Amino acid sequence: MMQPPKTDSTVAMKAGDTLLSVRNLNKHFPIKDGILQKVVGQVRAVDGVSFDIRRGETVGLVGESGCGKTTLSQCVAGLTDPTSGEILFNTGQGSQLGDGDRIDKLPKDRYRTFRRNVQMVFQDNFASLNPRQLVVDIIGRPLKVYREASGSDLTERVVALLEQVGLGRQHLYRYPHQFSGGQRQRISIARALALDPELIILDEPTSALDVSVQAQILNLLGDLQKERQLAYLFVTHDLGVVRHMADRMITMYLGKVVEQGPTETVFQQPAHPYTEALLAAKPDLADDPDKPFALLEGTIPDPARPPLGCRFHTRCPRVTPSCGWEIDDIVRFLEADESLFQSLQGVERRSARDADLIFKDPASAVALQEAMKSSSVPEAMRAATERLTVEGSRLRATFSEVDEVQLTERGPEHFAACKLDHLSR
Amino acid sequence: MTSNLEGTEPPVIAEVRDLRVHFGSKRGRVHAVDGVGFQIRDGEMLGLVGETGCGKSVTGRAFLNLIPQPPAIIAGGEVLFRPRGGAACPACAGSGCHACGQTGGETLDLLKLPQDRMRQIRGARIAMIFQDPGKALNPTLTIGVQMAEVFLQHKSDELLQDAGISADDRNLAANALRRIAHQEDRWLDRRLKRFPPLRQAAGRIQQALDARVAAALAETQIANPLRVMRAYPHELSGGMRQRVMIAQALACDPDLIIADEPTTALDVTIQARILELIKTLQERHRTAVLYISHDLSLVRKVCDRVAVMYAGRVAEVGTVSDVFSNPRHPYTQGLLAAVPRAGARRGHLASIPGSVPELVNPTPGCRFADRCSQVMPACTQLDPVLGSVGEGHSVACFLEHPPHAGAAKIEKALTE
Amino acid sequence: MAVTDLPTPPKRETAFGVRMRRWRDLLKTLLSNPTTFIGFLIIFLLLAMAIFAPFLAPPNVPDPYQMPRDWGATRMPPGTPGFPLGTTNQGGDVLYGVIWGSRTSLQLSVIVVSVTVVIGIAIGSIAGLVGGWIDETLMRIVDVFLSIPELIFALAVAAILGPSFTNIILSLCIVFWVKYARIMRAQIILIRQADYVQAARVIGDTKLSIFFKDMLPNASTPIAVQATLDMGNIVLVGATLSFIGLAESGIAEWGVLVSEGQAGIASGRWWASTFPGLMIFLWALAFNLVGDGLRDALDPRTEDKR
Ligand SMILES: Nc1ncnc2c1ncn2[C@@H]1O[C@H](COP(=O)(O)OP(=O)(O)O)[C@@H](O)[C@H]1O
Ligand SMILES: Nc1ncnc2c1ncn2[C@@H]1O[C@H](COP(=O)(O)OP(=O)(O)O)[C@@H](O)[C@H]1O
Ligand code: SF4
Ligand code: SF4
Ligand SMILES: [Mg+2]
Ligand SMILES: [Mg+2]
Ligand SMILES: [Zn+2]
Repeated sequence: MMQPPKTDSTVAMKAGDTLLSVRNLNKHFPIKDGILQKVVGQVRAVDGVSFDIRRGETVGLVGESGCGKTTLSQCVAGLTDPTSGEILFNTGQGSQLGDGDRIDKLPKDRYRTFRRNVQMVFQDNFASLNPRQLVVDIIGRPLKVYREASGSDLTERVVALLEQVGLGRQHLYRYPHQFSGGQRQRISIARALALDPELIILDEPTSALDVSVQAQILNLLGDLQKERQLAYLFVTHDLGVVRHMADRMITMYLGKVVEQGPTETVFQQPAHPYTEALLAAKPDLADDPDKPFALLEGTIPDPARPPLGCRFHTRCPRVTPSCGWEIDDIVRFLEADESLFQSLQGVERRSARDADLIFKDPASAVALQEAMKSSSVPEAMRAATERLTVEGSRLRATFSEVDEVQLTERGPEHFAACKLDHLSR
Repeated sequence: MTSNLEGTEPPVIAEVRDLRVHFGSKRGRVHAVDGVGFQIRDGEMLGLVGETGCGKSVTGRAFLNLIPQPPAIIAGGEVLFRPRGGAACPACAGSGCHACGQTGGETLDLLKLPQDRMRQIRGARIAMIFQDPGKALNPTLTIGVQMAEVFLQHKSDELLQDAGISADDRNLAANALRRIAHQEDRWLDRRLKRFPPLRQAAGRIQQALDARVAAALAETQIANPLRVMRAYPHELSGGMRQRVMIAQALACDPDLIIADEPTTALDVTIQARILELIKTLQERHRTAVLYISHDLSLVRKVCDRVAVMYAGRVAEVGTVSDVFSNPRHPYTQGLLAAVPRAGARRGHLASIPGSVPELVNPTPGCRFADRCSQVMPACTQLDPVLGSVGEGHSVACFLEHPPHAGAAKIEKALTE
Repeated sequence: MAVTDLPTPPKRETAFGVRMRRWRDLLKTLLSNPTTFIGFLIIFLLLAMAIFAPFLAPPNVPDPYQMPRDWGATRMPPGTPGFPLGTTNQGGDVLYGVIWGSRTSLQLSVIVVSVTVVIGIAIGSIAGLVGGWIDETLMRIVDVFLSIPELIFALAVAAILGPSFTNIILSLCIVFWVKYARIMRAQIILIRQADYVQAARVIGDTKLSIFFKDMLPNASTPIAVQATLDMGNIVLVGATLSFIGLAESGIAEWGVLVSEGQAGIASGRWWASTFPGLMIFLWALAFNLVGDGLRDALDPRTEDKR
């Protein structure tokens, strides 16, 4: 597994040293079933993700819901233990991150440093504030935990924090429900700022807010970053917000990073068809209103059974024969055809790419064979079919074996995981 | 607001006039909708945009009489609707007059309509698509059964015809089947259904019903309608459920669809497809759509005209190109400027200061006054009303329409 | 819901003041409901009776919780001078029993509710926080407890322990904690995933502090409602047990009085059991009225509106 933006390059040093590094991170959730709660599968919410965050920069994380953004940010925040892989945090022991900086292996005092310096702001501004606590308790709590202040000193520090986020002394003794959504998000930000952290993870901080309030919060975040040299991991599904906020961005699809690079580069020359589709699907006030929607077919596959090869191949408009065609693609195709699906009796797999499909009658097998040779399946799928033979009511299909897709370099700091070298327009 | 119903423009199919919906609360009366007015023309897509809580949903629900009373109080106004092919206008007997907008059709005030008339209109003439399809669908029934309801309720005569039972067939079996199709079946009918000859006919009705449901689903590009019909809502993805909702809404070929944030809960890629679908179907059926959304860029993309709401009132209304390229109301301007776009420096988005005012017992004056950068003394004392600033483009702001002399006097009296 | 900028209050606010205001507002909401108000009124009177018992009826020596016996004035009807509510078969003053019985009931309900709430919270929290087989085991025990009707269960336990008022208290403690454990576990599982708990973890607060600051306060509402209802129910069940004869005879306890007086009803001596019976009824009713009012007032859907 390659590690795209590792710390060795001179580019990294120039842009500020690495604050946090995620290396080959996996987080799998077991799927349990039945009364005995037997594990029947794994949801690979985060699957082999690597990236770096440097001091003072904003890394945007985008992708459709369920692609693992929240799970990844919770791992980075140390809220969930990853299944495997490591998260390294620079606690000021020299700029080269090594095994000794793994957050799960840090000694107590350095773990405290990590804990103080990585804070989080959540999407749901109401749920992230304890409804029984007053604002002064909520914002003052981190200061109390680290015994930084108490008594009237604490109150003054809280007032200073409130003022930084555009609130004031008059808000000290209020309950969260007495505020509007935007104000609650400001309180969350003030709490995150209290310990003067180096990194704030923002999990869709403005998704629940209206545009005019979103603009206020984004401006606030921008100003705070400038003042305090903050680094942000900015999770969102809104590409407009990412473009505005992020220096570098990461696109995720089904638990994997499919593209990462400097935001403007990615926006102008997306190297992955998924990023390209995301960009096209989002209507923008700046583009031509008569431009037709660029549509992306199909739905996100079940994360418990992600497609082989490139996970995007079931929906990719630019799909090639070497993108990982498999027997499941035939099953997906059959699911859309009621009569054929009804007569399908079973699938005997030799491997994920070679299987017998058993039908009730020979006619169905022939019908599928015909369909798979016609334009009702993608051309790339036809090209990838090595064998398609009918024996009685059995249809044997074999697809060619292909390599996994890896993140490869597309430009300075720009990586994408796609078989295509460049996307022609 | 004067109605401009003449001309070559399509007729006005629905109109909201000075609608006021208030909510009783412990702290006082919440003026959630306070004098909203706009028109919807036949076959157009009108966008209704504004921030959360500005009264969009309440306005939309008024078309279907779905506002819970209490806590709501309908404090005034009317919601007019002219069904296509409805009864003749009583004032001119169908020849066209001012009251019916030259359509010759009858005009209904949906707020005063008796419950049974409303039920006939709901689903058949006016349909609604909700934000959360998960909540709008019944979790205990299959999609097929829920879709069938719509046809049984509004299209039972056609179903009978499909099954070969003509309207003037009055024998025992035909009557029983009619009752089954109208969902008024008695105990005996349900028993009789099991035996010939009713069994065959009931089967034919069921077939006709299934065919219609499948066709309706297929129209929303659901790949495998028969499978979806057997599925329960929770077995479908969000995008799929929204398609089912759209199929249900379009089932009876309504004249007007109220779409309340139909894609807000969906991902961008699915959102694009659903919007495309709504747009194509709307163009194919020439249905008028009231498209409620808080997403400006979406409204710009799919709508013909747009009404911008702020704090229970319409601030600006006009064609999409007018409003988006030449916004005249300071709120619309602020809203458009607040959308993050390429090139804006981080931390320098133009944001509207402050937040939405509370609507508890509001005093007269422009609702936007405390956030408006161009506020004038008159703004805090008088209500601006919508006035034309161009062909089909109206704005409620004193910058465009300074308070007239009479009002100025009142203002003076107030300040003294 | 969104209160933008309330005018800054003239007085300088303090956290204490704001919290007190929240309690006061809660009380106001409670009292504005007529049935809850009646419940409060009855409770107030009953508590006053319990507190001022020594002044209302001079304590019996040596044990004030033992009914005084006046063998010269047995079976007196109400209105007899010196015995406004009449006397029992043994010459016990019914008024004395009614007054000192409120003390007994108060002791019973306060002891049982506080013990069971603490046990319930502890067990529910352990189950909800630790999870795994510990949770499984504890919840199976709870299920078994809940499958037996409270009264029958308490009766069985009290019967095994032997008849005495102390054993009634003990048996009620054994029976009544399960509901709290179940409520607490459900609350903990809900709150554990809440974003504000995640936020507290990000800050680096300790588990103990998160439990006391975030979990307990937010789980307290349904517990408080259940505890209020149980204040009434426990007296009812306790009285039933002593009625059956599981308490020492002759103590000033309403259930015992009803039990000892019921034999006389057939011969027209209704008073000896009617007055204590009425007290049991009032006690249970009052706490149930307040409990219901509390449930409505604390309903999160209505709480925000205040
Ligand atoms: N606690 C959990 N248990 C099981 N599955 C989970 C859990 N949390 C998330 N998942 C699954 O992991 C995937 C990624 O979820 P999430 O990180 O929330 O995505 P996103 O934030 O991008 O919407 C989803 O398929 C989700 O169902
Ligand atoms: N059921 C209700 N009970 C009380 N108030 C309501 C109710 N529904 C709506 N409101 C009030 O009406 C206002 C407008 O609501 P709504 O039309 O849903 O806003 P929008 O759809 O524009 O976000 C809200 O601010 C709220 O105060
Ligand atoms: S590898 Fe590239 S072309 Fe192939 S499916 Fe994936 S994204 Fe599409
Ligand atoms: S009326 Fe006055 S306050 Fe209102 S938008 Fe116009 S200028 Fe601003
Ligand atoms: Mg998420
Ligand atoms: Mg709404
Ligand atoms: Zn007319």
